[in-house]
Amino acid sequence: MMRKCLIMLCAVLLAVAVTGCSTQTSKTEQQTKDYSIKLGGSSTLSPVMAKCADDFTEKYKSWKKVQDTFPDEAITIFVATGGSGFGVKSAINSSVDMGLVAREVTSAEKEKLSNHKLYTLGYDALTIAVHPQNPIVKVKPNMTTAEIKKVFAGEIKTWDQLDPALPKRPIVIAIRDLGGGANQAFDEAVMKATPISQEALQLPSMGALAGKVQENIDAIGYVSFGFVNQNKGKIATLSVDGVEPTVDNIVSGAYKISRPLIVIAKSQPDERQQEFMKYLLSEQGVKTLADMGFIPAKR
Amino acid sequence: MTIDYIDKAAQWFCTIIAVLMVCLLLSLFVFIAKESLPIWLTEGVITIIAGSSWAPLTTPPRIGILTMFLSTLWASCGAMAIAVPLGICCAVFLSEFAPLWASFAIRTTLRVLTGIPSVVYGFLGASVVIPWYEKIVGLSSGESLFCASLVLSIMVVPYIVAGTYTALQAIPDEYRETGYSLGVSPVHVTCRILLPIARRNMVSSISLAFGRAAGETMAVLMLAGNTLTLPFSWFSKGEPLSALIALEIGSADVGSPHYQGIFAAGLLLLLLTSVISFAINYTNIRGRQP
Repeated sequence: MMRKCLIMLCAVLLAVAVTGCSTQTSKTEQQTKDYSIKLGGSSTLSPVMAKCADDFTEKYKSWKKVQDTFPDEAITIFVATGGSGFGVKSAINSSVDMGLVAREVTSAEKEKLSNHKLYTLGYDALTIAVHPQNPIVKVKPNMTTAEIKKVFAGEIKTWDQLDPALPKRPIVIAIRDLGGGANQAFDEAVMKATPISQEALQLPSMGALAGKVQENIDAIGYVSFGFVNQNKGKIATLSVDGVEPTVDNIVSGAYKISRPLIVIAKSQPDERQQEFMKYLLSEQGVKTLADMGFIPAKR
Repeated sequence: MTIDYIDKAAQWFCTIIAVLMVCLLLSLFVFIAKESLPIWLTEGVITIIAGSSWAPLTTPPRIGILTMFLSTLWASCGAMAIAVPLGICCAVFLSEFAPLWASFAIRTTLRVLTGIPSVVYGFLGASVVIPWYEKIVGLSSGESLFCASLVLSIMVVPYIVAGTYTALQAIPDEYRETGYSLGVSPVHVTCRILLPIARRNMVSSISLAFGRAAGETMAVLMLAGNTLTLPFSWFSKGEPLSALIALEIGSADVGSPHYQGIFAAGLLLLLLTSVISFAINYTNIRGRQP
């Protein structure tokens, strides 16, 4: 009798649990009670956002100081990483207020974001970065797109296969994970659908990629221009097809491996978010972006 | 009368909580299986588990998690191979041969080690273990399943030591006294008399440790190299199932083959740890029967 009861209880609870899992709970509108802004996405853009959020909070401390009509609530802005794909996905399912994306937003994704609002904060270039003590910096500081493609595809496996004057050491390829924004931008500009070598090390964030290139003398990777600037002297960059990755070349479009830095909101942002966006696009926000090594968009 | 009523209510309350726990575990299985079901049906179980090419973003998507499965096995079994002898020997020393103050100090340290977050272990491994390994072996990049196993074994040793120590302490002193009085050496008493008695609890702490090692994410994410090649040796690079899930779940579109493939990997990991835990505990209990 007890056993039968127990089994029935188990079955009923299991059924309840499973139906609980499958129904989509609608997100309750908490705008009236919860004043925090949640941003999330690209690991390249999130340090900049975090700094801007800090500066914004320092400057105003309470929403009332930003604009008199706002209530007197403390400013809280959360910034999460997770990659550009995560940024778009979270913007689509509203788990963040605004997604940070470091690549072009595809039309398929734009369709899912019904009447979205997209802000291009600036541009970032992907530099072909090596350790400063790698002999290639002196021997062959320029690589053609075809050579870069061969190295990253795994056809050229050792440094001396690239240039006979280099040592016979294996090339350690460092990439971001396949879904990362940087990988898609690199694929469009250089790889063009050729798969990257299976032996490439996938790093979980742009910061980790920069770290890998800094510590390993045989490493080559596509490090964000901003991160190269933040670590001056610790990362050496190679020019691509004769074009050096400098601010002028990136702005003019001569340096081809670049990607936009985008903040995307699913629907019209509310007033507080608009105020934060205004700050980001204002002089101070632009200055923070430039200080961290990225290129602000021309207003 | 009243006490009887409270008694029954308490009993039912505890029963309900226990049943809820079981249902929670079962619903976890059901949810993961449900999310990954389409890809299991489309691609077929054999293609996914035995397939070695992982390219979920191509058309048609290629979902093959053999690389990840082998990497998880190498990393966790390697970690156990290092941690089990170390842990058992350490626990034997702490229980039988160490002076009381040393035993207390070492056990406290090990307890602290369990509390350290795994991301700290991963970070330490990436900044200390890997450059050291590169220098000693002379490789250009030291990320490997071996380094992951090294760090995993450090994370897992405290569980084995604690379980084995408790098991040995629970054995009454009569066994030791009888052995010593008959002139048996301490080592022989420990290895031939005490350890077999303590075997049940030891084995259950080892299965707990294996579950931890197989499921560990942050440490292996930073140390295993995350390459897509099949790991044929302990010293090659690989991408364990947990690292695959952590790396790619953020960028997978919900409901896409990529997403379903990641959930399939999660289901495989869950099944792996559950089956091994269950098998170890089952043989443990059965072994009791003379």
